[in-house]
Amino acid sequence: MLEIKSLSKTFGAGVAAYHALRSVDVTVAEGEFFTLLGPSGCGKTTLLRLIAGFEQPTGGQLVLDGQDIAAIPPSRRPVNTVFQSYALFPHMTVAQNVAFGLEARGTAPGDVARRVDEMLQLVQMDHLRDRKSAALSGGQQQRVALARALAPRPRILLLDEPLSALDLKLRKEMQAELKRLQREMGLTFIFVTHDQDEALTMSDRIAVMEGGRLQQVATPRDLYDHPANRFVAGFIGETNFLPGRAAEGQLRLDGFAPVALAEAKAVNGAVTVMIRPEHIIVGREAPDCVQTSGQIDELVFFGTDTHVKLTLPGGASLTARAQNSLHSATDLNPGQTVPLSLPYDALRILPDEAAHAV
Amino acid sequence: MSKRKFSVRHVPGAAPIAIVTFVALYAPVLILIANAFNAGPVIGRWEGFSGRWFVAAIGNDAFRNAALNSLIVAALAALISTSLATMAALAITRGRRLRGEGGIFVVLNQPLLVPEIVLAIALMIVLAQIKQATGYHGLGYLIVAHSTFCIPFAFMPIRARLEGMDLTLETAAMDLYAGRFYTFRRVTLPLLAPGILAGFMLAFVVSLDNVVVSSFVKSPGQETLPTYLMGELRRNLSSEIYAISALLLFASVTVVAASWLITRRKP
Repeated sequence: MLEIKSLSKTFGAGVAAYHALRSVDVTVAEGEFFTLLGPSGCGKTTLLRLIAGFEQPTGGQLVLDGQDIAAIPPSRRPVNTVFQSYALFPHMTVAQNVAFGLEARGTAPGDVARRVDEMLQLVQMDHLRDRKSAALSGGQQQRVALARALAPRPRILLLDEPLSALDLKLRKEMQAELKRLQREMGLTFIFVTHDQDEALTMSDRIAVMEGGRLQQVATPRDLYDHPANRFVAGFIGETNFLPGRAAEGQLRLDGFAPVALAEAKAVNGAVTVMIRPEHIIVGREAPDCVQTSGQIDELVFFGTDTHVKLTLPGGASLTARAQNSLHSATDLNPGQTVPLSLPYDALRILPDEAAHAV
Repeated sequence: MSKRKFSVRHVPGAAPIAIVTFVALYAPVLILIANAFNAGPVIGRWEGFSGRWFVAAIGNDAFRNAALNSLIVAALAALISTSLATMAALAITRGRRLRGEGGIFVVLNQPLLVPEIVLAIALMIVLAQIKQATGYHGLGYLIVAHSTFCIPFAFMPIRARLEGMDLTLETAAMDLYAGRFYTFRRVTLPLLAPGILAGFMLAFVVSLDNVVVSSFVKSPGQETLPTYLMGELRRNLSSEIYAISALLLFASVTVVAASWLITRRKP
């Protein structure tokens, strides 16, 4: 179990100070696939480097299994990293790369050889064990980097955007394989990515970061269905935002009649309301929905579904997603005005922008 | 018609100029090598092909002695300057920025900026004092003197190699339980080796053909190959000198070519 307590990192000082990490608190559970997700510059890589020991925190604690490891150098932390660039030693063979961590620790040669064999079989690189690492393809280097980091049996494996250099097909394969390895070994993975799809499909929990702060830590499902704020809602998946006001348990979307909503009880005043495109019902009126209509501006065919871009009577634009089953969506045409239904239980009230502006 | 990019190759007369330049550069050297194989003793009169001057040179004690001195001085000066240059390059490219890094750079390259004769006189004055004080007159002075001006030559390829090296590799080694020394021995040094070897060879060649500093610093009776050649030239211009020059040329070219081949390999 890794407890991160009020961890901060500031580069530079005075007016030139850059706050890469602002008091981050989170606990990563044993055997969890934990993902740090956010745009570049959000602090996710800094957090990973602090856990690895490549950077020293300017404040806070890093507690691994009850011990504060913040002052321990990377060479003595039971944590290994898979680097974005793989960082394989170009002058060594595949097997020598995998053996490096074990040898540096002073493991007996017989045990090193056995563990290297085991790891190379695990990542299916046994047949290339004597190849120089520079002569491998991207996917192969990725596997060797993984085997090298796993060989010394770390308590936590850190992965710094390890799949970003691979092409789409290979990336999908490696995602599945990483997930399988993690489940089989029961090892804690801390995975950094800026790719939301990757994060959603692989993670047990995701920490969304922005501006050096954790915006929300939740399961992929929770993150998608109940984003904590506008940043998270916009970063994970596609979203529509509509302005409105909440008062006394009632939500009034601008231009519509008020609706009684349980969620609205907790807030008062101006709010932003979110609705996912796939929750909007296009072309018919449905019960328990905000009823409106929209003019179709554009239809974009995506195979399984069609994105329908619409303009509401008040001028706001909205994107809906109509699933392409056998008997639907085919009769929509640009320019047409269609009825729209926004189900009450698909409306999410987000605190007003100003409250969490970064 | 697209405009062709300016290239010096398309300037009228570029090819003839290039040819003339190459002839001016290499014809004398070729004539020297040819004369070294001339059977007769008179320059300019070809009496047939022979290796007799090489045999004579190798049988000459004074030449052998000078050649040995040159090799010892070049090897040790290259070793010392390469070690110092490696440390300097590591200090400059690793760790946090040093204060006055620009100044350090200038000092390291000082022998390239200071006219060689000035350096020679300066070294002679200082070393003469030490000679007098200690009574030691051995090769040590030449080795020290050569080490100073060899440093920038050794430094350049090493620094280039270090700057091209991915720092993540060292981070990865530390992440994999390697301490600083283990990281240096298993990762940094093997990757740096071609640069160090190239630096060593450059320093070796620069030391091997140095005349000016050697003439000023050497003790009486001491000769390196170039100073021996200078001395012999004043007395008589024999074909043996051509043979010795050809040998020196061969040694230099071999070392430089080897160094080029080594540095061509990418990390």
